[in-house]
Amino acid sequence: MLDVRGISTSRWWHKKKTWMLIGVFLFLVFVRISKGSFYKDFYYFISKPFWPGQFQKEVIVKSTEQESLIKLNLLEKDNIRLREILNLQQSSDIETVSAAVISRKTGSWWRQLILNKGSIDGVEVGSPVIGPGGLLGRVENTSLFTSSVKLLTSPESKVGVWVDRIQINGLLVGAGYDYPNLILYSKDADIKVGDYVSSSPASTLLPPNIPIGIVLSVGETFQAKKTAKILLLAKPQAIDWVQILKEKF
Amino acid sequence: MHKFFKKKLSMVIFIFIPIIFLWHPNWIGFLHIQPYWPLFWLLPWSMINGPINGSIFGLFLGLILDSVTLDGNFTQIPGLILSGIWFGRINIDSDLLVGHFQYGLVCSLGSLICGTLYFLQILIKNFSDGTFLLFIPSVQNILAEVFLTGFFAPFICSKLFRLFKYSKEKSTIINFSNK
Repeated sequence: MLDVRGISTSRWWHKKKTWMLIGVFLFLVFVRISKGSFYKDFYYFISKPFWPGQFQKEVIVKSTEQESLIKLNLLEKDNIRLREILNLQQSSDIETVSAAVISRKTGSWWRQLILNKGSIDGVEVGSPVIGPGGLLGRVENTSLFTSSVKLLTSPESKVGVWVDRIQINGLLVGAGYDYPNLILYSKDADIKVGDYVSSSPASTLLPPNIPIGIVLSVGETFQAKKTAKILLLAKPQAIDWVQILKEKF
Repeated sequence: MHKFFKKKLSMVIFIFIPIIFLWHPNWIGFLHIQPYWPLFWLLPWSMINGPINGSIFGLFLGLILDSVTLDGNFTQIPGLILSGIWFGRINIDSDLLVGHFQYGLVCSLGSLICGTLYFLQILIKNFSDGTFLLFIPSVQNILAEVFLTGFFAPFICSKLFRLFKYSKEKSTIINFSNK
């Protein structure tokens, strides 16, 4: 009998607070490994009453449809003809999923959208996300009910782009502020303010010819690279509804 | 239930920090940038529970916030741990006006530490391919965040400090240091 109880309670594994610490730590490791899925799904449910309404979606869809229909026929014919000449892949019929933006971080370092469609709706990691204006970013991870989109302005975003006027491929690098940088690996590239930038036909991550932005300013040539600031056409800070392209590229 | 919330108020608020972080209410922001929310919780918590608890919960906050953001290469943990340790050593002046001003100043500096450490990670990662100069304009993120955090801290931190202190008196709260 003696004093066994006294000795044993002094061990660290008999202390309640140690186990609580380990429990909390393991929970947080689980949250980290699951990339916050638990939190995002929880946020999905509590933010549900505040999602953008049907009305705004209709207004956006109507205005974009009117604009698109005028251009569609002409562009489609041009596109087919030019692709045949250049021997490029044909754009396929891409299935899209409409999703509402339920959380947006468009400032600071963390530039992401959380959408109300997740793996249960067939959203896959890597799917491009477009909004009125053009490309917004790519799906970076999914939970059961939500998907997180890394915006083109995020410091970790890098996508291949195409500058149509000078027929050259470049790399669009997000920099943590509203204007991502275009890097052209040619110091002789004749890029000018106002040049139109779209997704690259050579890209394996994105479908070709999605509008991205316009050259806002051209920087100095540095280490045989030419850089330019890009004004994005799609405004993630104002968009409430987006389209997720389901097909992988 | 009501008693439980009173006792564990600081933990309940802790759980909701990532939700506020995700919510990102634009009407509070400036240049689409928000105050650095976790510091509003970490400052009063560390002041009451000391630097060891401050650093541990800085780590916990960092783990959760890294999970809900997408930047896999960068982490908020070092900044939050350092802030937690520093906040644990601070005593706020008993004078109401000076105390409120101190909350603002301390939170601003905490936000500066966290923002600068995050920015340095971005610069270091992009140093090798020579594109790090393109990231310099994003310093505006740090400046706006420092301003907003300092602006809101006196209102939020002083309230939370009182609530946590009251909550601690009501219960034997989780305390990992032998203070």
